[in-house]
Amino acid sequence: MPERPVERLAEVAVSYSTRVQPGDLVVIESGPLAAPLVREIYRRVLEAGGHPLVHVALEETQEALLREGSDAQLEFVSPARREEIEAADVRIVLDAEENTRTLFAADPRRQALHKRARKPLGDRLFERSAAGELRWLVTLYPTHAAAQDAGMSLADYAEFVYRAGLLDEDDPVGAWRALGERLDSVAEWLGRKDELHVLADGTDLRLRVGGRRWVASRGFENFPDGEVFTGPVETSVEGTVRSSFPAAYQGRIVEEVQLRFEAGEVVAVEATRGRDFLEEMLALDEGARRMGEFAFGMNEAITRFTLNTLFDEKIGGTMHFALGKSYPETGGVNNSALHWDLVCDLRQGSEVYADGELVYRDGRFLDGLF
Amino acid sequence: MIDPRVERLAELVVNYSLEVGEGQVVRIDGFDVATPLALAIYREALRAGGHPYTNLTLDGLHELLVKHGSDDQLEYVSPTQWREIEALDAQVTIWSEVNTRSFGGLDERRHGALIAAQRALSNRRWERIAAGELRWCGTLHPTNGHAQDADMSLRDYEAFYFAACHADTPDPAAYWRSLSATLNARAQSLAAVRELRILGPDTDLRVGVGGRTWIAADGKYNLPDGEVFTSPVETETEGEIRFTFPAIFSGREVEDVQLRFEGGRVVAAEASRGEAYLRELLDLDEGARMLGEVAFGLNYEIDRFTRNILLDEKIGGTMHLALGAGFAQAGGANTSALHWDLICDLRREGEVLADGERVWKDGSFVAPLDVAVAGERA
Repeated sequence: MPERPVERLAEVAVSYSTRVQPGDLVVIESGPLAAPLVREIYRRVLEAGGHPLVHVALEETQEALLREGSDAQLEFVSPARREEIEAADVRIVLDAEENTRTLFAADPRRQALHKRARKPLGDRLFERSAAGELRWLVTLYPTHAAAQDAGMSLADYAEFVYRAGLLDEDDPVGAWRALGERLDSVAEWLGRKDELHVLADGTDLRLRVGGRRWVASRGFENFPDGEVFTGPVETSVEGTVRSSFPAAYQGRIVEEVQLRFEAGEVVAVEATRGRDFLEEMLALDEGARRMGEFAFGMNEAITRFTLNTLFDEKIGGTMHFALGKSYPETGGVNNSALHWDLVCDLRQGSEVYADGELVYRDGRFLDGLF
Repeated sequence: MIDPRVERLAELVVNYSLEVGEGQVVRIDGFDVATPLALAIYREALRAGGHPYTNLTLDGLHELLVKHGSDDQLEYVSPTQWREIEALDAQVTIWSEVNTRSFGGLDERRHGALIAAQRALSNRRWERIAAGELRWCGTLHPTNGHAQDADMSLRDYEAFYFAACHADTPDPAAYWRSLSATLNARAQSLAAVRELRILGPDTDLRVGVGGRTWIAADGKYNLPDGEVFTSPVETETEGEIRFTFPAIFSGREVEDVQLRFEGGRVVAAEASRGEAYLRELLDLDEGARMLGEVAFGLNYEIDRFTRNILLDEKIGGTMHLALGAGFAQAGGANTSALHWDLICDLRREGEVLADGERVWKDGSFVAPLDVAVAGERA
């Protein structure tokens, strides 16, 4: 990214997404490659009166741990990390991978063990966030690794990231506020619905969302952002669903995932690639076979698939669902160490019915609904 | 490509210096440019059964904090950092700078406030080390910044540095164990000495060391290492000394320092360059004019001055004296915010008398010890 977008991203992250206040403890986690963005964010946190604390993580420590660690080492969670999650007012995570396949050869069983041990950390993060005690943000700094996964040069990819964050607008924060308002009206309208029925290529899925809260994602916790999501009634999901894009999770890729749900549980799994890994993740715990999130991607500035969930799940005209943990603020109660998003492209040949009424076709809500 | 020297240094840090054991929490501190060594130490600590994690930072953040932070922000230490110190069993500091002058343009008062706030944390760390609760080792990962300060290419600097650690040999731990025996024997032989007299060009200094404990620096706290040191009797330094190597403090150089001591205190000081800074440091507090350390540098792989105190104070054949804080474990009682090592080159000229008897000449001890003197070839 050229210099200016880095400054703009830092500005939006600190003043809009996480709204850093004087005295806030702001934990910034990053890979070494995002150093230019870390420095910009660090400076702005200081200017906002916060106390920035930077942790630079190395991808390869994870690889070494998964390859060589004993069970006790895999299950160890540093007390320092636990305390930091309790003490932080803001947590900013900068995704800046050097190689998205660093964990490709890791043993899924050992990954699952490690993941389960870290679950309480994630739970606390979600809880504190839902209680309004902690603001968190995940964003990305363009690297060759991410560009390569997207099939792009670094320069082109940086441009893509820049546009996806509306950072090319004269007033990016104003643009996010406007999008946020639109998402609010969608969320409010969906909040009055009970049953959704999604029809698309390979997908015929019914789920209930009555009594659950729809949340408009306006660039506070993810950046870029642009979706509305909820936690479906856990036992209500029925039917089949097929993911349209390959999905990366913990360094592994799965493709053309097809799932069949009965009474809210996955009862059949197909995938043309990565099926064993998928099965391993579904066996992670009780909640991993249930849907913890259902959402519509509504960022029209993201039109292409780039093999990165942060972007793919927001593509305007898609829907996604997550296997595993639900977000407490939606009213969802599914509990799991897993939260794995899979995206379905609805831009062609799709329909969504809400309480029996056609409301969405070929990637767009019908006009005049809200 | 993994440099085998980096791996051997990591092995040395984890197994020899820190003796990491099952279940120990090990934190690896440093800058991101030290990644190869940090990763190697991480792997070794895993193999030793520990719970390692890296705690890396980036160049430029301190600079931003000093330039843009309020006083409150400068002095802030997060409660999590306090608690984290308590939870560690072992800690490695990897010194590794992309630019050793990143602090060059900072406002000194503000930079000082930051250092003072951080010192509170490091004091607590030293308490835990002294109580035997925490192991600590400081080492370095070569960068172009350090090489440039040494007037060397990175490649040459790496060769120099890893040789100083003996990480370029198949079994560095064996070397350090044997050197440890030598240094400990040397420390014992110095235990009965009441007064050292250092003689050299423009130098005739008497330093009282009676009743103090000499300590062998044998690679447990620093890598590379190789010195024996103690804290002198605070009131018993008399005479004059001239330091031929530049004296560096906080990135600033003072050249050709000459000091005169009376009753343990510096009563006259001059320098060919940086004299004002020298006086400023001497006036820092009550203890800054007194010696906190006297030591013999005995790492003979370190044969040149490289503007890095980790290495310079161990140059084989030198002595160093520190103005300021003494070491409690050596019996030292001087307290100061300063601990400034000044190095005196005794390799070509100079001798040291211990209670009147010549013990050191032309850069090495005169009397051989019973143990193999592997590290002391002149």
